[in-house]
Order: sequence, then C-alpha cells, then structure tokens
Amino acid sequence: MAKDYLLEKLKELLFEEQDAKTKELLKRVDKVEQGLNVRQELESKIAPILEDNTHYLQQNFNILFGKTVTKTMKRQIEESKDEVVEALYPIIGRMIKKYVIKEFELLSERVDRQMEQVFSWDNWIIRVKSWFGGPSLAHVMASRFVEPALEEIFVIEQLSGLLLGSYSKESAFDQDMMAGMMTAIKSFAQDALSKETQQLEIVEYETYKLIIKDFSSFYVVAAVSGPLNPHFKNKLDDTILAFVNRIINTPTMKQGLVSLDKQVIVGNLETYFSQINDSEQ
Amino acid sequence: MNSKKVILLGKYGVGKTSLIRQFMHKEFSDAYLTTIGVKIEKKIVTTNEGPLAMIIWDIAGESSHRKIPPSYKLGSQGIIYVFDLSRLSTYEALDRELSDLKTLLPNVPISLVGNKKDLLNEKDLDTIAAKLPLVDVTFISARTGENVEKLFHDLALAMVR
Repeated sequence: MAKDYLLEKLKELLFEEQDAKTKELLKRVDKVEQGLNVRQELESKIAPILEDNTHYLQQNFNILFGKTVTKTMKRQIEESKDEVVEALYPIIGRMIKKYVIKEFELLSERVDRQMEQVFSWDNWIIRVKSWFGGPSLAHVMASRFVEPALEEIFVIEQLSGLLLGSYSKESAFDQDMMAGMMTAIKSFAQDALSKETQQLEIVEYETYKLIIKDFSSFYVVAAVSGPLNPHFKNKLDDTILAFVNRIINTPTMKQGLVSLDKQVIVGNLETYFSQINDSEQ
Repeated sequence: MNSKKVILLGKYGVGKTSLIRQFMHKEFSDAYLTTIGVKIEKKIVTTNEGPLAMIIWDIAGESSHRKIPPSYKLGSQGIIYVFDLSRLSTYEALDRELSDLKTLLPNVPISLVGNKKDLLNEKDLDTIAAKLPLVDVTFISARTGENVEKLFHDLALAMVR
C-alpha cells in the first residue's frame, strides 16, 4: 500500500511539468479550432486578405487573364460560327436593307435637285414627260435599282374594324385580325391625341409602310414595301380613289355597308390593284 | 362568311383573357399577365344560320368601362361583360355599367358572365345571382372550361337572330 502511494507520488513529481505543457497545448488547439470553425472569427481574419486579393485582381485583371479571356472568346466564336452567324444575319440584313432604301431615298432627292440645274434636250424631254404625269427624273434613275411595291390592300369598316375586302400577293397573317388591330391602332391614336378631326395616315415598320386613306364609313390600308416615291404615292392614291368611286360609292352600295357584297369588293380589289406594281416598272 | 365584332369588357383581373384562352385553345394558366391596350382574336362558330366569324376584342380591364376609349366599343355587335364571382367589387356597380353600355350600343346583345365559378359553392352562387341586375347571367369557369363554349355559342345565336 505504502509502495503504491510512493510510486504515485513519484509519477506526479516526474510528469508534473509535462502535464502542464500538455494542458496548455490543448487550450491552444481549442482556440485555433474555434477560430477556424466560427464564421465571424474566421471572416475577421481572412476578410482583409481576400479584400487585398480582390483589389489586386481588379487592378491587374487584364494583365493576369486578358490573354486567356481573349483566347477563350476567340475559340468560342470560332467553334460556334454557325450560331453567331444565325444570330447576326437577320439583324445585319435588316440594317443593310433599311440603309440601302434610305440611301436611295436620299439619292432620289439629290438627283432631283441636281437635275433641276441641268439644261439639256434629253433632260428636257424626260422632264416634260414627267410634267405630263410620268415618273420624275430622279425616280426613273432610282427605279432601275429599287421599286416600291404594293404588298397588300385592305378595305375596313370604320367603327367595327371588320374586314370588307382585301387583296394580297402573299399573306401570312389572318386578315380579319389585321383589320381589327389596324382599327385599334387608329382608334388609340385618335383617342390618345384627342384630335377627332385628324387621322392616322401612315404607320412605318422598318421597310414597310401602311398608308391609310379615310372615307366616311370605311377606310383603306395599303401595305407598301420599298422606298415610297411621290409618283408611286400619287398612283396609289388615284387607284384607291377610282376604286372607291366606281365600286363602293355606287348607289346600290351606298344603301349601307352591311349589305356590301364582299365578293364584289374582293374581286375588284384584285382587278384594280394587281397591276399597280407592274405598271411601275 | 359573316363576321361580327364582339367586345370583352370587365374590371382588371376578372379573367377576360383566360376566358378567351380557354375558348380559343382549351388552355388555362395560373400566371396573371395584364392585357396591354387590346388584343384581337378570331374564332369561327357554327350557328343555324351558317358559320360566323367572331372577331373578339379583348380589351384591357379598367375600374370602369367608361375609362376605355369609346372607339374600341363602337361598331360592336356583341358584348361579353365579365365579373369575378369571388370579388364583390367587380360586380357591385353592374347596374350603372350595363346601363351605360345599353345607351352607347343600343340593341346589342350583352352576355353577363360570372367567372371563377369553381371557387364557390352552389349556395354562394345563388346568393350572388339574387343580387345581380340581369336575370340572364352565365356562371362559368375559365379554369375548368365549364359553360365557356355555351356562352359564345349563345351569344353567336343572339347576334345572328
């Protein structure tokens, strides 16, 4: 018994210092562990380092990654050529088409101005012809490249927006719905501007123009593509007026639009308007 | 083919566009997308007088139809006035709304429609029906499609009569 006691005492004397060191070491390990596992403590230590690094990256991004990013993008574009072309092609196409048409309109104006100053027999002959109802000189020159074309024509009842008749070279959209939407747009413009005596006359969409001609109980919409020149506009106006006077404003038709024979309108629209593009060339 | 303009009126959120969608495409969506201005749809309905093209103007909802441009309504040959059975505010002033419409468009058939029938029970529906100014009201559900076809078919018949 005494032997055991003495042995225990000896152990205590021999390992006392070692025990103290071990306990101290364990405390430190606990502290480090807490520093790593508790988010706030870890953040307070790491945040300044990360901030410095972020700042450094921001300042030197171009030097560090510029070449890699450029190379990656080049490779990506190279590998996805088809997709890139597919995405850009329609946009570029429309831009070019719009630009060309606009340029032709400007060219047409410039040529007109130029020709007014030119004094030659040939020019006089063409000019005399244009004075007598023929196309303008500028138009003769410009028309060799781009022509306006009548794509569709609609006769629409004023209030209801119901389609009374239409003629179209090739139509992809439902014409009854087109007539309704046109009437809604017209009504909106009229209500929004609060000018009942004024009417919406033209709607432009890229290279298309919707020309609107109002009559008392109906209106006519002509969808025209290409640069609209005064000669074509006059011809279109004349044809619309002739059509309205000879087909719609007849004594029988005047009885009321409800009784209008739509087939008569449709048939005559084709007769009157199918030739308008041919006679331009 | 004979065509008729039909306008769809009612306060916002009552389900006018959902009704059209159910009628046109037999579809329903819980997503609410407000109508901007006006949207035009066309559907051919067969009547005893032959086929009839209904050109339907789905007009954006307002707190009162008085705020809708009159030109959208003029020339209409049929009116569908929709209210929400689960929202009292959409049908409490029906008297005035319908009277205005009758003054603006005399002799034009009006279909009064209570939508969202699927959210109420029969007892609630009877209570609501008793408060309404018109006896002839159709309770429908744009969600389930209940009475939707009938509503348009009845209006088509009233228009060709």
